[in-house]
Amino acid sequence: MLSSNKCSRRGAVAAAATIAVAAVAAVGASASSAQTHAHASSSRPANEINILMYGDAQNSVEKYEIATYNKTPEGKKVKAVLTTIPGANYQTKLQTIMSTSSAPDIFFNWGGGSIEQFQKAGLLLPLNSMMKADPKLKSSFLPSILNAAKIGANYYGVPMRGTQPVVLFYNKKVLSEDGVSVPKTWAELLSDVKTLKSKGVAVPIALGGGDQWPSLMWYEYLYDRVAGPSLVTDGLAGHKSVWGSAASKQALGDIKTLVNAGAFGPSKSWDSIKFTAGTTAQMLVGGISAFELMGSWDYSTIQSQGSTATGTNPANGPGATFVKDGDLGYSAFPSVSGGKGNGADLAGNTENYYSVLAKTRYPQAVADFLKIMYSPTMVKDELAIGNLTTTTNTPKLISGPTAPYLKWQYNLVHIAPAFQLSWDQAYPQTDTNALHTAVAVYFDNLNASAFISSMEKLTPAS
Amino acid sequence: MTTLANGGRTKSSGGLKVGRPSFLWSLPAITYFALFALVPLGVVAWLSFNSWDAIGSPKWVGTANWSAMFSDPIFIKSFKVTAILTTLGIVVQTPISMLLGVWAAGNQRNRAVLSVLYFIPLLLSAAAISVVWGQLLNPYFGFPHELHWLFGSALFNHGYLFSSPSTAIGVLTFVGMWQWTPFHTLIYQGGARGIPEVLYQAASIDGAGRIRQFFSITLPQLRNTMITSLVLMLVGGLTTFDSILILTQGQPGTSTTTTSYYMYEKAFQSFQFGEASVIGVVLAVVTVLISLIIVRASGWDKMRSTQEGV
Repeated sequence: MLSSNKCSRRGAVAAAATIAVAAVAAVGASASSAQTHAHASSSRPANEINILMYGDAQNSVEKYEIATYNKTPEGKKVKAVLTTIPGANYQTKLQTIMSTSSAPDIFFNWGGGSIEQFQKAGLLLPLNSMMKADPKLKSSFLPSILNAAKIGANYYGVPMRGTQPVVLFYNKKVLSEDGVSVPKTWAELLSDVKTLKSKGVAVPIALGGGDQWPSLMWYEYLYDRVAGPSLVTDGLAGHKSVWGSAASKQALGDIKTLVNAGAFGPSKSWDSIKFTAGTTAQMLVGGISAFELMGSWDYSTIQSQGSTATGTNPANGPGATFVKDGDLGYSAFPSVSGGKGNGADLAGNTENYYSVLAKTRYPQAVADFLKIMYSPTMVKDELAIGNLTTTTNTPKLISGPTAPYLKWQYNLVHIAPAFQLSWDQAYPQTDTNALHTAVAVYFDNLNASAFISSMEKLTPAS
Repeated sequence: MTTLANGGRTKSSGGLKVGRPSFLWSLPAITYFALFALVPLGVVAWLSFNSWDAIGSPKWVGTANWSAMFSDPIFIKSFKVTAILTTLGIVVQTPISMLLGVWAAGNQRNRAVLSVLYFIPLLLSAAAISVVWGQLLNPYFGFPHELHWLFGSALFNHGYLFSSPSTAIGVLTFVGMWQWTPFHTLIYQGGARGIPEVLYQAASIDGAGRIRQFFSITLPQLRNTMITSLVLMLVGGLTTFDSILILTQGQPGTSTTTTSYYMYEKAFQSFQFGEASVIGVVLAVVTVLISLIIVRASGWDKMRSTQEGV
């Protein structure tokens, strides 16, 4: 009785083990062999091209693009379908889906490091032949912008939104009420912060520390102003010693001064708020803060703050009123006296691009869709939501209520001697987490040697 | 009373398969378990010796990932964070669930209605709960701002609940408690309902008051229930992920990065699946070990009833 009990239990364990071992062996064998050649077929429905898009307040224009294409003769044969991913998860989902059979035909990216690994794995379609068939696909865009998505001799991206330099937004009402001027130099910024704090502005500069990447913008600009653009380009090329240089330490010291002056609120308070949750926009619109250093997309984020409008309807709510009343100001990042960098240098996202999957089933449909990117109507729609397109016909098409903002931005980009791509896009995706953590931890603990050693551990040239 | 033999059959010593199905009946369950639990575990163990970024094929690197992870300070710290969160969860949730469960098992007048209301958090999506609490605890626009008289003290880090490690852990513990005590209350309610009434009647004849009855009758009788609840809380604490993902993302710094969250970061944010697999294997082994220890130490596997002698 006892032994038959043990027998049946042993039998069960043996069966489980055998099944498990067999299955693991089968999976292991297929994994190592199948991965080497690409999946031949897509699992998506026929006569459809799929476009994967970063989900945010600006998707109204992308939806318009899809609708326009679907009305064309080619669009009636092969439909375009848009899929949006919430911004915080975009890169993760993209990386996960790219080598599967549900990979999108066209996907949004930031050029540079964000598409390098895909290109290395042979997943991207070089667009040179598309550009030869349709010369306007190349000639309609600013060459420097096309080059940011060029790897080797091949173009891999078509610009599709706008150039997004990081600028200093401010609340005009708060500045005028407290007698503070728009800072043109670093010293002025520090004294502005002091004045604002004495007048009771609790958080002079809104910072979404909970997201970590907004803090990165302060580093990008201070490093450029103090050390010049070459420090970061050297660091990206693999020269790790630049992070421990005197210029680097000076830039870190400037950040420390600003943090210790209480510019971002009490110590570590910024970790409890996020840009992606709309908190910093709410603080700027509500007058709790006077400044926010953010990418040019913040114009549309602030405009839609508190809005209940859906679909393509214009924004309503406090943010829309704030912008309509002319209370939103914008300025270039201050210059730093004695620094090696030019006060006109910019940092931010050089552009956003559409890249194409190498195995797309309908390259002709894709080529027809991409034609929309330089059409005047689309350029005008992007301009209307505050995105500065990089087509050659942009200056002629700037009009409407956002015209002053866009003309100002266009001028900034036009005269900028250098335009540093956001570090978390310039470094490969495997470094993003470590970079964000290093940036956030320095803001909290102000330990320069810890920051320097974290930056030295990154592996850019992979 | 004779103790029961291994397997629990007392009466017939002959009749090998009387009353007991052959192991073939368990084959579907074993196949399912093998396919969906053992196979992925095996693949992850294999992947931990490879380097892979979700594009292209895995590359064999031997024990490089293992040595890299065991010299990673964040990985080592994540065990401490996991232990703190799990312990806090148990210490906070057990007394509350137990008292509520015992109360709900009684027959007071409004018990049924109040119980239903209290179970509502259990019906809500875990992600939705975390999103809502994240917004409610915004320092400039949520409770800390509106209830400044309560949240302004240093105990709550002056309202910046996500900025200090201790208050961030406190928020996670609170949200976990808000969400999961209904579940454990349900377990304790079931356990308390199973306590024979005669024990209480005998005790009140002997003059025991309510508190004495609670400590001398209810608690000992709930022993097996407590162990069940404890094991569930342990496993839940070790694998908590959604609230950390939505509320703190392992921040400030790495002070709320638990082992399972670090595994997610390594796999899906840094695209280092080999190192993430190392964490996965270690987590699986640790969880199994802890479960085994709990079961052995509490005598749960001996299946002793709390009603022997009744």
